[in-house]
Formats: sequence, structure tokens, C-alpha cells
Amino acid sequence: MAPRKLILYVAGQTPKSLAAIANLERICAEHLPGQYDGEVIDLRKNPKLAREHSIVAIPTLVRELPVPLRKLIGDLSDTHKVLVNLSIGDGA
Amino acid sequence: MTATSPSEKDRLIADLRHRLAEAEETLRAIRENEVDALVMRGPIADEVFTIGGDCESYRAFMETMEPGAVALDAAGRILYTNSAFEQLLGKDFAGLQGQFLLDVLPADTVREIKLLLADARATRKSCEVHFPRAGDGELDLYFVAAAIPLRLGTISGHAVTFADVTERVYREGLEQSELAARAVIDSANEAVLVCDRNGIITHANAASSIIYEGDRVGQAFADIIPLDFHGTSGVLHPDDMIAMVVAGTPLQGIEATAVNAPKVKDYLVSAAPLRVAGGWISGAVVTMVDLSHRKAAEERQQLLMRELAHRVKNSLAMVAAISARTASTVSTVKEFQAVFSGRIQALAATHNLLLGNAWSSLGLGEIVKSELTPYIDDAAGNVTIDGLNMAVAPRAAIAFGLIVHELTTNAVKYGSLSQKGGRITLREIGGNNGKSDPLVVEWRESGGPPVAPLERKGFGHTVITRSLQYGRGGGAELDFDPAGLVCRISIPPEELS
Repeated sequence: MAPRKLILYVAGQTPKSLAAIANLERICAEHLPGQYDGEVIDLRKNPKLAREHSIVAIPTLVRELPVPLRKLIGDLSDTHKVLVNLSIGDGA
Repeated sequence: MTATSPSEKDRLIADLRHRLAEAEETLRAIRENEVDALVMRGPIADEVFTIGGDCESYRAFMETMEPGAVALDAAGRILYTNSAFEQLLGKDFAGLQGQFLLDVLPADTVREIKLLLADARATRKSCEVHFPRAGDGELDLYFVAAAIPLRLGTISGHAVTFADVTERVYREGLEQSELAARAVIDSANEAVLVCDRNGIITHANAASSIIYEGDRVGQAFADIIPLDFHGTSGVLHPDDMIAMVVAGTPLQGIEATAVNAPKVKDYLVSAAPLRVAGGWISGAVVTMVDLSHRKAAEERQQLLMRELAHRVKNSLAMVAAISARTASTVSTVKEFQAVFSGRIQALAATHNLLLGNAWSSLGLGEIVKSELTPYIDDAAGNVTIDGLNMAVAPRAAIAFGLIVHELTTNAVKYGSLSQKGGRITLREIGGNNGKSDPLVVEWRESGGPPVAPLERKGFGHTVITRSLQYGRGGGAELDFDPAGLVCRISIPPEELS
């Protein structure tokens, strides 16, 4: 299976950052178990990491792999929208 | 401008569309409140700023705080205040927003707050500030002001809180005052008792044990220290005293008898209202001064007055008798003046000695020296006093002094002191065994002209022989020995001390 990687950019413990982390964990566990490597990057601790994916708004979920790269902004509370975005261009 | 192939153009357009879609998605997400932080390009590095909800949570948090709280921008302008801070300054938020904090604070606090903000650039700092109140009866307020650097979205500044510590400051002040008052009360020599409004003793110094030896604190004053205000004709009762003082009427210096006091019973009682913060009377302070010394002094003075009157009367009677008897034995006024003043001086000499000795007993040798001094020259050594260490009571001292005076003037005129080489010896020759017999003092002259018995007994003879006869075995006898006059003076044993 092709490598799959998700990166969630958050800003410390803002309410939407905390909600995004919780929603992503829930969606992955319920709908995509074992399919993605996930990483959470706190831009408060390391703001310069925002440049790599040109992050402006937080929280933002980046599907780094498989290409094409996809971004989803918000707290990921809409499961359907998350699943749709993660499956675009996914040949799996 | 370089030429671009159709396929490259398509790729560029696709990329631009993708970036436009991403930018639109970002704007939509921000507009629809799906994000709560933004990454911004800073002058040095990228920075993350929270938006929206954070400020609201800060505000909600500030509102729940009991201390007054204010958020300031970097210039010290008020961004937000909680209602506690608004109440503290007596202004609403509309009147405070955008004002410089230093402009709205009491003038006395400006310097401290300015220093505090300058000091709190990196970490939390605090200081105590004082809000003076202008109104009558309004207590000044005290606060601990704390400042901490604050970031509100893209704005940096300070969060400042004002925690009211007025009660603590006043409580500490009161505690200090109470400690000082207790020290004063405890160091007082007088009995001091502090009562509450119900007359229950709340504090009693050590000196008050003279009135009531048991545990005084917690007891009703009127129960353990019943007072009899005899001077008030029964108008004032001890039960009323505390109530009267608590109502605001002080009581000053009223004599009273502490009926149940173990030792001293006479006191001078004063009581004053105990005023605490705000002038409220919380009880009474009762001071009781021991009057026993004053009473004793008054009694002693009365006794002395009576004694003085008695002595003056006796002295005047004595002077009248000396005057009458002297007048009957002299032939000229000049002679009378000389003899009479000599006798009065003899009396005065003994009186002086007695006064110098608080009118107590006098030594016989001391009396002899006092009477002989005007007539003899110490250097000549013609008077020998052997012993005479015994002291006698005032009455015997006066009589003995008069006898010695008469013997001395006689010796100067006719006896051993009338010529050179004459001598007088005084000594105790016995008696006074165990103080039950009279003490006999011998006056013996020698070296003078031959002595012959008296042809006529004058007043001097009477003074010598009778002055001490008032007491048991007292008196004097004269022996006209041709070699020199001898006089044996017997002093009654009850006069010896």
C-alpha cells in the first residue's frame, strides 16, 4: 500500500485545535483504521514549520501523502467532509 | 518575456486555480469561524495569533475574578476592564475604554503603577497601593496591584489586577494597636480592667490581682468586684457604672471601696469608653488606683497636726513658766533678758535636734554637745564626754537639755568653766539594768573655785532637780563638793530607747 501521511497543524490548546485533534483521532479510528500515519504539529512551539505547507489558518489538516497534497481547514467536526477530502485522488 | 508552451500554460493555470481555491477556502473558513488562530509573517519570524474565542474566554475569566482587573495595550490604554475594577473607580466601561490607566487612577497611586508596569515587561510583578478616600468616615483602601505581560491577538500589553487588602491592612493595624495597648495596660502600676459592652472582663493586667486574686477574664465585673461608691450617696451602683460608660459617659476619679478585695480596699476609680475603629464603643476601660498610701498619708498628716498643736501648747506653757520663774529670780531687765534668752535657746537647741531626727529619740551625748557648744572651746579640751550613747525620747531629751543648759551656765558663771584649767566630765555611772532602772548620768566639775552650798535656790536649781521627775525614778540631785559641783541626773527607764 502506498504511504499515507496526515499532518494536523494546531496552535497550542485553542478550543478549535483541541477539537480538531479529538475529531481526527475519532475519524481515523472509526473510518480509516491503520490507513494513515498521523502527526500533530504545534505552531505555537515552532511557528516556522508553517512555511513548509504555507499554513495560514489554524487548525489545518494536510494530507501530505498520497499526492496530490490536500488541505482541510477547521476543527474537522464534519466527518463526511473530512472523509471526502481524504479520498480525493486516492487510488486506494 | 519568455515563450511558454501550451502544456506549461495549462499547468500554471491549474496551479493558480488550486492556490486561488485554497485562498478562498482559507477566507471562507475564517469568515465562518472555523479557525481560532492565524500564522502571520512577523518582522523576524512567523508568529501565531489566536483570534475570537480566546479574548472572550479571557473576558469571561476576568469577570469571575474578585480582584479588579484591567487589560492594557503597550501604551497603557485600557482595552478591557472587569466590573470589579469599574466599581473600584466608580465608572462604567464606556468611560474607561481607551483612557490611559494612569489618568483614571487616584493621583497617589500613579507613581507606583508606572513603576510596576515598567518592571513587569517580562514577568509578573506586584506592589501595594493606597487609594485615599476624601469622604468623612470613609476608610482609605489598600490594594495589592499585580501586573503581567499580556498578548491579546496581535496586541501586546499588560494585565493588571487590584486585589483589595484593606481589611487585612486595617486588621494588622488593629492588631498592632491592640498589642501596644496591651503593653501599656500591662506595664501600668494601677489595676486596669477592660470590659466588653456587657460588663464581662476581656482583659485584666497583673496589677489588678490586688482587687481580685482569681481568674478575672470572662467574669462579670460587677460580680467579682462589687464597689461601694460611698461618696455618691447611693446614686451610683457598680452595675450601672459599665452601662453608663458604654453609653459614652466617662467616670473620673471617684472614691470607692472594693468590698471583696483581699488586701487594699480603698480605690480611686476611673472608667472610660473603649473606642475602636469608626469611633464605635466596644466596651469600657476601668482603672483603679490604690488609695491606701494616700489615706495613710492623710491620717499621718492629721496625727502630725494634732501632735504639733499639742507640742506648741506644751512649749508655750513651758516658755510662760520659764519666763515667770526667771523674772522672779533676777533683779534687772537686762539680767532677765540674758538668762531668759539663754534658757529659750537651750530649749530651741534640743528642738532643732529633735526636728533633725524626725521628732524621734536623741542621743544623750548629742544633746550635751549641742548645749555646751556656745560656751566651750573644743580646742581647750576641758569637757570630757564618756559614753552617753544611749538615746532618749523627745520629752526626756528636752528636760535633759534644759538641765545641761542650767549646769553649763552655772559652770561658766561660778564653777569650773569660770577659770582656766577647770574641767567637766560627763559619764554614765550605772543603773538601767535591763532597762528597768533609771539611767544615771554624772556631771562632775573640777579645777574650778571652791564650791559652797547654795544660799538661795533659784529657778535653775528647780529646773535641774525637777525636770525629769515626771517619770519613774527620774530627777537629779546636786552635790556641792568643795572640789567641784557634782550632779547626778536620773533618766526614767521608760524614756530610754
